[in-house]
Amino acid sequence: MVLRSLKGSLCLLFLWFATTIAIDIHGRVEWNDVCSNATELGRAKAILDSGSEYAGSITASGDFTIFDVPSGTYLLSIITHDYTFDKLRIDVHNPADAQTVEVRPYIEGTPLHPPSTVILPYPIKVSAKGKFAYFSPPDSFNLITMLSNPMTMMMVFGGIMMLATPYMMKNLDPEALEEMKKEQAKVAGVQKAIASGDFKGGISAIMAAADEATAATVAKTPQKSGKSKKSKR
Amino acid sequence: MRFLPLLFLIHALGCWAIHESDVGTVDWHKKLVGIPLYKSPATAPRFASVDDRNVILTASANNVLAALDAKDGTVAWRYVFDPEDRIAGFYQNGNTVVTLSGPGGAIARGLDIKTGVLTFERRLHANSEGLLVDPNDLGKGIAIGTTSQDVYTLTNGHTVTRLDKSTGKPSWTWSGQDQSSLTLFTKLLTTTDTVYVIGVSSSFASYTLHVVSLSSSTGQVLADSEIPSSIVNASADLFAFVHSGSAFAAWLENGNARSLLLSPTLKNKQAQTLSKQSFEELLDVGLSDLGLFVGKGSRGSTVINLGDNASLGSTIGSSDASAIYAGFHADGKPHIAKSFWSTSTEKYILEVNALDASAPTILPLEHADVAHFTLHVASSGEPQVFLTTESGTVQLYTGTQVQWSREESLATTTLAEFVELPEQISAEADAKGESFTHRLLRHAVQAKDFPRYFSSFVRRFITGSYASATSAATAAADGKLSRDAFGFRQVIVTASHVGGKVFGIDSSNGDILWSRALGAGVTPSKIFTIKAVSDGVDPEVVIVTEKRSEEARDTVVFHLNALTGEDVAGSGTTIVRGQGSDAFLLDYGSKFIIILDDLQRVHFYPDNDESRRAFTDNHSKLSLPSLASKNGHTVIFGSHFAFNEDAGEHPVAYRTWELPLPKDERVQTIDRAHRGPVASLGKVLGDRTTLYKYLNPRLFIAYTVTASKSLCGLYLVDSAKGTVVYQVQLPANNGACNIQATLSENWLVYHYYESEVPSSDVHRTKGYRVVTVELYEGQGPDDKTESSDMSSFDKAATDVFAFEESYIFPHAISALAPTSTKFGISGKDLIVATKNHKIQSFPRRLLNPRRPHRKPTSQEAEEGLFQYDPIIYDDPKRVISHTYEVANVQKIVTAPALLESTSMVFAFGLDMFLTRVAPSGTFDVLSENFNKAQLVLTVSGLIAAIMFTRPMVQRKRLREKWYM
Repeated sequence: MVLRSLKGSLCLLFLWFATTIAIDIHGRVEWNDVCSNATELGRAKAILDSGSEYAGSITASGDFTIFDVPSGTYLLSIITHDYTFDKLRIDVHNPADAQTVEVRPYIEGTPLHPPSTVILPYPIKVSAKGKFAYFSPPDSFNLITMLSNPMTMMMVFGGIMMLATPYMMKNLDPEALEEMKKEQAKVAGVQKAIASGDFKGGISAIMAAADEATAATVAKTPQKSGKSKKSKR
Repeated sequence: MRFLPLLFLIHALGCWAIHESDVGTVDWHKKLVGIPLYKSPATAPRFASVDDRNVILTASANNVLAALDAKDGTVAWRYVFDPEDRIAGFYQNGNTVVTLSGPGGAIARGLDIKTGVLTFERRLHANSEGLLVDPNDLGKGIAIGTTSQDVYTLTNGHTVTRLDKSTGKPSWTWSGQDQSSLTLFTKLLTTTDTVYVIGVSSSFASYTLHVVSLSSSTGQVLADSEIPSSIVNASADLFAFVHSGSAFAAWLENGNARSLLLSPTLKNKQAQTLSKQSFEELLDVGLSDLGLFVGKGSRGSTVINLGDNASLGSTIGSSDASAIYAGFHADGKPHIAKSFWSTSTEKYILEVNALDASAPTILPLEHADVAHFTLHVASSGEPQVFLTTESGTVQLYTGTQVQWSREESLATTTLAEFVELPEQISAEADAKGESFTHRLLRHAVQAKDFPRYFSSFVRRFITGSYASATSAATAAADGKLSRDAFGFRQVIVTASHVGGKVFGIDSSNGDILWSRALGAGVTPSKIFTIKAVSDGVDPEVVIVTEKRSEEARDTVVFHLNALTGEDVAGSGTTIVRGQGSDAFLLDYGSKFIIILDDLQRVHFYPDNDESRRAFTDNHSKLSLPSLASKNGHTVIFGSHFAFNEDAGEHPVAYRTWELPLPKDERVQTIDRAHRGPVASLGKVLGDRTTLYKYLNPRLFIAYTVTASKSLCGLYLVDSAKGTVVYQVQLPANNGACNIQATLSENWLVYHYYESEVPSSDVHRTKGYRVVTVELYEGQGPDDKTESSDMSSFDKAATDVFAFEESYIFPHAISALAPTSTKFGISGKDLIVATKNHKIQSFPRRLLNPRRPHRKPTSQEAEEGLFQYDPIIYDDPKRVISHTYEVANVQKIVTAPALLESTSMVFAFGLDMFLTRVAPSGTFDVLSENFNKAQLVLTVSGLIAAIMFTRPMVQRKRLREKWYM
């Protein structure tokens, strides 16, 4: 077609050479669940590199053509407002032969060399990877979420326990009660010693406590004491 | 896994995002199309109907093709063309709009008329082969096949291509003699099986008509003929039309209208001449299908028929050179409309004439500066007129009423300034010396509002609906212009390039409060707020303009009240006879403007003793950078001021330094830093040392181009003595330098395209980069030189070191700006207008140049630094323009609100967009998440618990007392 138009015109023969050392790159946006048609996609362009020289618009059918691309290595990106697409690396080796156009996946920010070993088919096929979600859901008041908040639950539980313990104590076995009181006294002793800064006394109190459960609480106390010391400073 | 760091990051930066409910309350978006390109019939607005819905198709000076809904004037769709792809014309072909654009008409596109979706895109020749002509539509054309509906294009003045109507696939191409020949084809006509290409060949003093007929099925030349004729202006005096199936060429020759019936063999060379009357101008008013034209002569305008039998039609109107015509026909019934100054009614009117005995419809017009209009007559006989004025207003008249109106000159805005509004109290306050009875009465009157106040107080107390940072900035109840609680409501004064139109825009909703046309030939160059609300008066702005008239170019200053747009001091004061070179706002207690003329003399505005005294006292410290032309290219120089005997009353600026540049490096432009309050002078590091910011107030950015090496330069220069503080050379993108940069405090950010990848050795990668630079005093931490107060002549003035880091940026951008807040305490975000029509914010923490290239130490973590990642992720939650398509932004202006946390962002170019951002979160207002109901519920729950337990505790105590 190009030939015919320039028939008989010698000076334009150069022009013909100029146009044949470039190739038209064809591609297609495949519709998927993320983006199912051109109206949804909106205005979109396929660009090579910065798009200042080689670019093509995406038509209603999803096809695009980037005209007159000379040999070289390019990054193809699809520019849209609302959708994300993967970038592709396009190598044009011999503009006279469309079979030599190589398409490879490309991950943003990685060096172009060495090229990926995966070769994708040409003509290019791309599809939307995701749709941008610009809005964050509003925080609304909900009694259930408020009550399921651990702080609220703790508070409510504390309140109930406060009311319920006297009755529970009443129903408790007197011996068990005695045991519990002892234990409480031990813990209180340790806590008191630490609070007053008397570590030796605290440690001896801990040593004295033979009970395993008490020992478990002690494991945490040195850390706590260190912190309290730092904060005092 | 790849996105794991991103998730961490989002978490680290706090989840600040827009809620869907905030849309339209915190932001607004004006979708504009630009002023119609009415000068050429190929791009002029026209009516089209789509499924019983009328739209107006228009191509605009902003390079947009748009369909406006005739019902309400909203944009049904628009297609924004790239800047280098100028629209040459558009044509309706059934349900498709076919466009030709680019140099020489390089690209043909088909757009769906209902949705604006692209149906095909076809390149007809390479951009570099494009023939550049003036006017842009010359040598390009589209004709639609009568039976096939296929598209025939004429491009580059010599190539005809037949394209398939739906796919745009070419079936044949015919090229006339090459571009170097003397024939330029300008018109294309189609009949059933012949395509006529009509053009002109240059001869000695004028042009000769040249016609080629082609077979529409094969594109073969049937005949090629020159018709003896003499045409002076090929673009204005030559017409081609198809009338009842036959093709005609018509032209104006020596004041006579001539027309020629074309046949495929082109045997007929005898043109018929309408010799009864001579015309100065022949107009195609859109009735050429009927063979009707309007001939404008010295004695009046006449409708003439250049079809089968050239004849004179009815005479319309007397001699009126300024009259504008438009025509419309439906079912063969022509209408012609004409706009003119009616001396009888002393009004600008539009007369619609049905070319028969019936009385014309008269429309009184609002605007006197009508530039163009398009006519449509409904089947009921009711005329619709789409009108464009010189100052960029477009209006639709239905019957005699204005149905809607759009201010399209907003799309050419070049300057914008935020102006604070006065408080409501000060707006209401009475004179100070009011008497007791008067005050009593005033209070009594105001007491009528008490029940409303009380009910709203109770409601507010119960529901907890407080004003928050995301509530709408509502107007005062009395409709007066006053600010809201947080200062979100301000006036944005904008100045447009076209017609010198100035607008006052309400920043709360985008409504136009007032508009003014400064006059024809006025180009605004600078805008300054000379008096603010804090001065105790209505805020005032000064617009420095260049006024071009036939004889001269003067610098004229307009001083306006920002609330009303009224003149404060006369309507335009001419400051400089001749071209002014630059203008600056100085603030030494009182604000005034100095304007330099081309002899570097200083002119004052307002020119009074106060500003002269302030200038005399302070001029020795003043140093201003300017651009000037030297040996045919631009240089940057710095000026100081002196009082010179010869210059009389004007102080003179004299050059003290000139930025020395390598031989082929050219200055592009300069950009002054964003000035704002500085809250802290240093940055305390994790190890308790301090980095002191380099806060030289005289720094400015200079951009340069080195075409021979394909490099772009960026310099930070001190304006006092031209010292280069920071410089960088960046690769040009295909020879074009399009670096976007901004400097605020000690923080420089620039954005460019990195394309420098040698094709043989592809080691690196290409893409957009953003580089962030922070400048600090001295040689390292704890080195303090007090740069903010230092003289430029101090030795330590250039004692500076920089942290810099480069990141891969996800977008091409067209503008960028840092946020600005009232006291500068809040963090600064970078606001960016991307080329995919979004406004996006990027947090400063992400762009910190000190981000470590390893896992941060605890000291670094304490400073809020996190590990370097070369990629800046495209976080959709930070797209502050969300679903809006804010197209072709040229500039972003940020302004503080009364809330320290919040900054207003205003972007303009084609569209206008305004929103609020809080870079550090809205720490100074009750959080959006604050839940009053929850608080009230918890408190009342506790009260109930106390009431419940109190008797129990009392009982227990009593018991304890008894049994102790």
